[in-house]
Amino acid sequence: MAGYASVEGTAMTEAKRPREPFAPWDRRALPGLFDVDETARRVGHYKWVETKLFEAMGGWVATVPELDVKMRLGTHCYHHAWHADLFNKRLPELREMKPERLTIPPNDEMVAFVEAMTEPEAPELTIEKLVGVYRVLIPHKIAAYTYHRNGTSEITDMPTVRILDFIVQDEFSDWREGEMLIQSMIETDEEVDRAAAHQARLEKLMLAAGGIAGPGSIGDPYVEVEEED
Amino acid sequence: MRKIFPADALARDRRFNRQTPEERLSDPRISRPGAGNPSSSKLTPEQANGPDRARALMHGIFVGEIQALEGAGRTCWDFEEGTDVPFELKLDMARQCWDEARHCEISVALSDHMGTELGEFAENVTLYEAACNPDPVLRLTGVNRALEGLAIDVFNTMKEFGNMAGDPVLEFCEDWMLADEVTHVKMGSDWLRRLTANDKERLDKALEFQRVVDRLFSFNGFRGEDDDSPIQLTRRFRELAGFSTDEIDEIADMARETKNEAPV
Repeated sequence: MAGYASVEGTAMTEAKRPREPFAPWDRRALPGLFDVDETARRVGHYKWVETKLFEAMGGWVATVPELDVKMRLGTHCYHHAWHADLFNKRLPELREMKPERLTIPPNDEMVAFVEAMTEPEAPELTIEKLVGVYRVLIPHKIAAYTYHRNGTSEITDMPTVRILDFIVQDEFSDWREGEMLIQSMIETDEEVDRAAAHQARLEKLMLAAGGIAGPGSIGDPYVEVEEED
Repeated sequence: MRKIFPADALARDRRFNRQTPEERLSDPRISRPGAGNPSSSKLTPEQANGPDRARALMHGIFVGEIQALEGAGRTCWDFEEGTDVPFELKLDMARQCWDEARHCEISVALSDHMGTELGEFAENVTLYEAACNPDPVLRLTGVNRALEGLAIDVFNTMKEFGNMAGDPVLEFCEDWMLADEVTHVKMGSDWLRRLTANDKERLDKALEFQRVVDRLFSFNGFRGEDDDSPIQLTRRFRELAGFSTDEIDEIADMARETKNEAPV
């Protein structure tokens, strides 16, 4: 069948007419901010953070008396475990055949953050538990994942982009539910202060850590300028 | 947050009342008519207190689901990845958390559907106590094989009750929860096999712990294979979940023994 084919007299597509390899609306670019090793390093830290988070949420279920919070923690626990699993499966694809080797915190400050976040246990401390997750850690995860997703190559590293897209969608949804739980639990000025104080304490620890993947978690927005004499 | 969280510290709001299993069974609303008379102990809608017994059982399912959620959550937290348990085991437990959270939602909605208020019946924490075992293999065997196995029997019984009572909502929901429980029991069977592949002594200890828990929940012939057992032992779904015929026979025999030991 050379040239035009026809079905009942209708003209068909010219099969051999050349097209661009990238459609006009496809603006994906080849270079990305991270090479394979740097991507693996970050993904390993992400897996470590997700693992610590789902473990803590599972542990907290027994400690919170509020029924709706108990059930949300159980549900969100699985979301973060699934994220950890996605990152775990990505690591061998990034040449790390022993994923546990890169499943590490970026620094000691991040360990200190997680210890402080998981410290509350008493049944009266549900606000602190929720604030640590939904007002501090999850916003930092969304920031780091968004930076990574927007900065990496959408061609060479599309598997990570796809993973991050699923995860960020989960994070936004969980953040919204968690924030609404916090708002519904805060009923007095004193509770506002408690929530703010705990958030500030954890934010300072996160600042010291430099973000969930350490310094550079969301890049560096400042420009180096040489001072004139 | 500490490792191994004791049952007496489980956090509840003020609607919940805690009782021992013996105290709970002495509740006149749920006592079997003619207890000790096996011919009248099956849960049916026609019984004078059949609907009350079904409501009590549904409330028991609800608090059991809370404890199952708490137990699975604690297994995520209590053990170290690598040294104590594999990463994948924790992932399974997190998945179970989600399932149990949905079961809480389903059973609280079904309780409402059946006209029951939260806290109307008492809670005992025997299920969660089994989830406090410091050995992850024993914990998983006690919870995922013994207690989730019991859940298979309970959900199948409630599904049949829904069918007999002409309640399609109850039947529909129980069938869905039953599917999850088969998955959880299979998780327990698979992990027991994997974690004790080269450790016969640990396998024997785990199976012994399972027997202890199974016996606890077979009290007075509560769960068994006889027509008049309130909770029917469900062979088909247990087989799907990794139980051998010998293991199911053993539970059936245990149920008959505890029934014969029961005070008349």
